[in-house]
Amino acid sequence: MKKTIYILLPVILIAMLLTACSGTSQTQAEEETTTEDEINLILGAYTTPREAYGEIIPLFQEYWLEETGQKVTFEESYLGSGAQSRAVVEGFEADVVALSLEADVIRIKEAGLITHDWKEGEHQGIITTSIVSFAVREGNPKNIQDWDNLVQDGLEILTPNPNTSGGAMWNILALYGATLRGQIEEVPADDPDAAFEFLCQMLSNVSVMDKAARDSVLNFEMGIGDLAITYENEVLVGRQSGNTYELIIPTSTILIQNPIAVVDASVDEHGTREVAEAFVAFLYSTEAQEIYAEHGLRVVNAEVAAAHTDTYPEVTDLFTVEYFGGWDTIMTDIFGEEGIYNQAILQVQGGE
Amino acid sequence: MNLKRKSIGAWLLILAVVFYMGFLILAPIISLIRGAFEEGLAAAWESITSPVLLEALILSLKIALLVVLVHAIFGSLVAWVMVRHHFPGKSLFNGLINIPFAISPVVVGYMLLLLFGRNGLLYPLIEKLDIQVAFAVPGMFLATLFVSLPFMIREMVPVIANLDRAQKLAAATLGASQWTVFWRVIFPQLRSALIYGISLTLARALGEFGAILVVGGGVQGRTETTTLYIFRCIEERQNIEAYTASILLGAFSVLIVSFADGIKRAQKRKQTMASIDVRI
Amino acid sequence: MERSLAHKALKAGWTQWMTRLPSFLYLGLMIIVPLMVILQDGFREGIGELIHQITLPIARHAILLTVWTSALMTVINAIMGLMTAYVLVRYNFPGKRLLNALIDLPLSIPTLVTGVMLVMLYGPQETMGAFLSETFGLQVIFAPPGIILSLLFISFPFVVRTIQPVLEDLDLTQENAAVTLGASPWTTFRKVVLPALVMPTLSGSLLSFSRAVGEFGAVVVVAGNIPLKTQTAAVYVLGAVESENRLGASAISILLIAISLLVLIAANTLERHWGAHR
Repeated sequence: MKKTIYILLPVILIAMLLTACSGTSQTQAEEETTTEDEINLILGAYTTPREAYGEIIPLFQEYWLEETGQKVTFEESYLGSGAQSRAVVEGFEADVVALSLEADVIRIKEAGLITHDWKEGEHQGIITTSIVSFAVREGNPKNIQDWDNLVQDGLEILTPNPNTSGGAMWNILALYGATLRGQIEEVPADDPDAAFEFLCQMLSNVSVMDKAARDSVLNFEMGIGDLAITYENEVLVGRQSGNTYELIIPTSTILIQNPIAVVDASVDEHGTREVAEAFVAFLYSTEAQEIYAEHGLRVVNAEVAAAHTDTYPEVTDLFTVEYFGGWDTIMTDIFGEEGIYNQAILQVQGGE
Repeated sequence: MNLKRKSIGAWLLILAVVFYMGFLILAPIISLIRGAFEEGLAAAWESITSPVLLEALILSLKIALLVVLVHAIFGSLVAWVMVRHHFPGKSLFNGLINIPFAISPVVVGYMLLLLFGRNGLLYPLIEKLDIQVAFAVPGMFLATLFVSLPFMIREMVPVIANLDRAQKLAAATLGASQWTVFWRVIFPQLRSALIYGISLTLARALGEFGAILVVGGGVQGRTETTTLYIFRCIEERQNIEAYTASILLGAFSVLIVSFADGIKRAQKRKQTMASIDVRI
Repeated sequence: MERSLAHKALKAGWTQWMTRLPSFLYLGLMIIVPLMVILQDGFREGIGELIHQITLPIARHAILLTVWTSALMTVINAIMGLMTAYVLVRYNFPGKRLLNALIDLPLSIPTLVTGVMLVMLYGPQETMGAFLSETFGLQVIFAPPGIILSLLFISFPFVVRTIQPVLEDLDLTQENAAVTLGASPWTTFRKVVLPALVMPTLSGSLLSFSRAVGEFGAVVVVAGNIPLKTQTAAVYVLGAVESENRLGASAISILLIAISLLVLIAANTLERHWGAHR
């Protein structure tokens, strides 16, 4: 009996292996066929809009089939914006990238993979927007209304690590910008030292620094912390999933602009330029923008935006990365090795 | 050997160990199981039978089985050389084998990208050969191969070192051919170590996460293994799916390892019997 | 006679290389090449820059945190691992088979899941976690105890499985002799069993230390990852990779690998030294 097991087991394993190997070569052959009737499009996106794309993609597939009779299959990857951008640079052959910050698309362009001017056009390459806001517990027990409330004693804040998360960078920029613009009571405007102090105070209240924006929110959902600084759309999507936390929009915050671009190197190699460009164009359509709006994102399509002002109230003092002088300045002055953020961390933790 | 009546000290020791293991290992597993069934049996069943999970499982198995094959052959070879041969720098060699344990998975993925990424050292080569390594299954295979390297070798070395030379010598002087000696004496002892090594390697390969996340890119349907599927489910707030898949993976690995352990013990029993026979 | 001896020698040499070459090639490709790549990347701007990266305050703290949590964990693991191995080998009790099977469980569970389980169990909102923080003021998750706990979980098999085979093979005659001569169980253990177990315990502990130093998946979920407070070296490396500080990533990785190598070589040397004395 034992002997039969000893012989049978390796035989079974080898058989499984052989079927596995033949399986692989078969799917590879399938993938590489781009016939007249079928085409494959690869989307590399950041994590936040995955629910939205889950709905948009089938719509586009329908649309494209009707328009051209061609069936388009999608391969989607959702990672942190920076991680996705780096993956593309390292060889991930995404045809279309939908990322969280411009800087991540610029990186791909600088690697020579995007050769056209992706910022050309009515919306300058931006497909959706959002704002930095707060998620607080149901009923807002700590009465958080604005940035000033974040420095109160004993408050536990969740925000991701800027090193690994685009979302975290937006958070820091929002706070720092709001302070510099004089939107914080008792903190004078245009005073970098005062703003720096305020940043330190907020950071000393941070209890967990996750590696990505979504992780931060998930932790908050598990009952950790008193508030999470995050994208407005993360809070809205979380609420759609049944969570009861509340969204608080500060008086002054930064506009998060999410870019989209076709990756020339990939589409030329795959022969998917036409469908990729059509997909991007489709994303600006009322239909697609409507879906974004339903999934917590602010949209660039004026018509759709106007229809959703209830969910997306206007912000009193809205600013963009331009206030800081653009991403180049930000990456050196604020997030560079000797930048303001690192200095703040050192001061906060060193003091303990 | 075992005193039927154990002292109080013995019982205290046993209890201490049981409590420790209960608290360290069982408690988290139980909370995982509880989490999986939080929405009832039906929900749990639905998530286990999800076709996406099946696809992920198949990919995990493909990679893991291939890894096991490579390590079974080469790992045994290396173990043999390490025990039977002597050469300068052997102790460093020994240390190097355990390196995969010490390297963070992020670093493993990063190393592979340094080699096979668009700007990597070996990129021109693989481009010529028209193979995709980074962000494709071959890259994930290599990452898994690296992290599971030590297991087979570590299992085989002590067994090879302990190969009962007396038995072998006896067989040789009694006129058995090389082949008979190998098949009847050496191989059975190696077999249980081989099986145990295979099972550990398989379990480790199935559970790899960090490195394949970095090198594979997590593309649904193409480079999504079971562990990446679990990760995605957590991110998408599909907790039941994540927990059930984790239990599935864990249970499968535990079964493999227990099976191998059973064989090891059976082999030991046979060995003890055999040596008793010889002495008589 | 002579010819057959020479013949044998030639043959032996040939088969030796038949087995050596593929082994060296295999190890070379699998381990040496990736190591070389990282070394080259870390040293590409000179050793000065590498040292600068290692001594950055955030990096330094991360490394220290990693080392002390791994070390503390190793000590606990050594003691408990020894006890567990002893109990499993020397005693029979109901549920022993189950316990034995459970030991390898941590190897099979993906590290990501380990982290998730621990947060589920010890997170501040769960009974265990809340109980511990209210009663003892001890924060487990998002604090060093959580890190140590996750490391204990993943390294548990290493010590036990290294000691078990040695204990099983230990010749019982000496032990039995000691008992018949009137030695207490503790003395027997101390004088007869323990000396034989020192080496495997040390070896298994050092292995689990190496393993812990590089751990990422379980720790990143459980630790809180606040730089200069709860961020370990592996998490710092992730941050470095993702923020374009590749040199920093390689530098820290090289340091971690060097630490592990040193520890493993120390274990090896001890083993040989000890073996020579016996």
